[in-house]
Amino acid sequence: MKKLLKSKWFIALVVLLVLAACAVLSLLPNSPVRKILKPVQSVGAPAQSFVKNAGDTLSDFWAAITDGIAIREENEALKEEIADLRYQLTQNEEAALRYEELKDALHIKDTFSNYEIYGASILSRESDEWFSTIRLNAGTADGIELAEGSAYPVLDVEMNLVGRVIETSDTESRVLPLLHEGFAVAGKVNAVNGATFMVLGDAELKRQGLCLVTDIDPDVRLEPGMEIVTSGDGGLFPEGIPIGVIETVDNSNPLEITATLRPYSQIGKLEDVFIMIPYVEESTDETTQVTN
Amino acid sequence: MRLVGIDTRARIRKIVVYAIYIILLSSFQVSFPDRISFLGQTADLMFVFVVLSGYFNGFWDGAIVGIVCGMIRDVFSPPAVVGLDGEVRVTAFIGVFTLFAVGIIGSAFFTRRMRRNIPFSIVAVIFTTFCYKVAGYILIYGWSSLAGAESSRYSLTTALIYSLLPQLLLNVIASIPLILLIRFLGPVSFKGNGKKDEIIKDKGEGTWLGI
Repeated sequence: MKKLLKSKWFIALVVLLVLAACAVLSLLPNSPVRKILKPVQSVGAPAQSFVKNAGDTLSDFWAAITDGIAIREENEALKEEIADLRYQLTQNEEAALRYEELKDALHIKDTFSNYEIYGASILSRESDEWFSTIRLNAGTADGIELAEGSAYPVLDVEMNLVGRVIETSDTESRVLPLLHEGFAVAGKVNAVNGATFMVLGDAELKRQGLCLVTDIDPDVRLEPGMEIVTSGDGGLFPEGIPIGVIETVDNSNPLEITATLRPYSQIGKLEDVFIMIPYVEESTDETTQVTN
Repeated sequence: MRLVGIDTRARIRKIVVYAIYIILLSSFQVSFPDRISFLGQTADLMFVFVVLSGYFNGFWDGAIVGIVCGMIRDVFSPPAVVGLDGEVRVTAFIGVFTLFAVGIIGSAFFTRRMRRNIPFSIVAVIFTTFCYKVAGYILIYGWSSLAGAESSRYSLTTALIYSLLPQLLLNVIASIPLILLIRFLGPVSFKGNGKKDEIIKDKGEGTWLGI
């Protein structure tokens, strides 16, 4: 028995069983097991951040050397574009003033007016096809409190859907990207009364950078090139966030039409993102007090 | 005047060198995965480093480096899994489990018979990558059947051509510079290499920090 307890293979087996049990327990809602790794996070995060910054600086330095001529040409083109845009801006300023007047008069709401937008930077990305969540540098300390069962949309700088926040810690958040096989969002064609369906991540399509579109009504005609936005069904995502364009449509089974969608956001190229958090409505308490 | 003995110096060297490599490799892998990717797969630097640590430096090195790298992997890019209730949750300890297992498999992969020779270490990387991927497909298939998450499954063609083969190729390529680093700028001095296996033979492989 003593020999068995001292055997390295017996120790390894016990450790593997304990780790497997911890992995399964971490899947439970509000599992405390995940907190065990918190000290590693506080030690590892600054080191990783240092390496990332050093890599970015080197990359920028190299780009500054190699892109000199291209930058000069681009600069000339941008100067011309700025002149055009200045002209357009003066035209639009008047239109904007009129819009504000009409907005007040007709009680028009901005698309995302009920949401607060937080900016965050991507700290780390996937390490392989299965370890594929993304870390952001914004957490509960920045006001991103996530209740069990809820999720916050994450958008890129052009306001396209990137994924959703699924876990937060004091200083960090974890994002489930759009291409992950666990991701699902209700979508619709970007038109008035556009048809709704589900946009899902799929293990088969992930490597091509595509999502799967299912639950398509047989009467609806989807065509490649159509823009798809969030439909707002389900309540997690507001209506109107651009997701991507339809790439292919499979009509071979009329009872189960599917399509593939190419997302607008290129997660590999993103550095900064925005988290959308709905404003907490405090009117309910006030109404109750008034009634009392 | 010698302030520290030769053993202590070797131990300090081992800890410092392992710490530097683990931080650099894990940070690089999660910060710039697009630079080491091919056909949607990323060269798994942490994985290869753990296998090679086990293969060249023995059981305890493989196990401890595996646990540390696994914890970092779980912190930096944990997997999200569809639970039995349909909710997607971030998990913990899957990385530790995987890399610990990989470290001890690497340490046991014909290390004595092949005398930990350099070319055979690439075979160890290929074997462990193959085991990791196949075990992953089986686990995903079983779990997705339980949780009803069909979108997580791979077809055999996708698994073989677009997942396993590119990953094998990338890991083999990544193993070449890592082998050179471990052998020539590594945590253990391989000067007097002939004596090394005698030490392991006499004292067993429980000589972590003591080789």
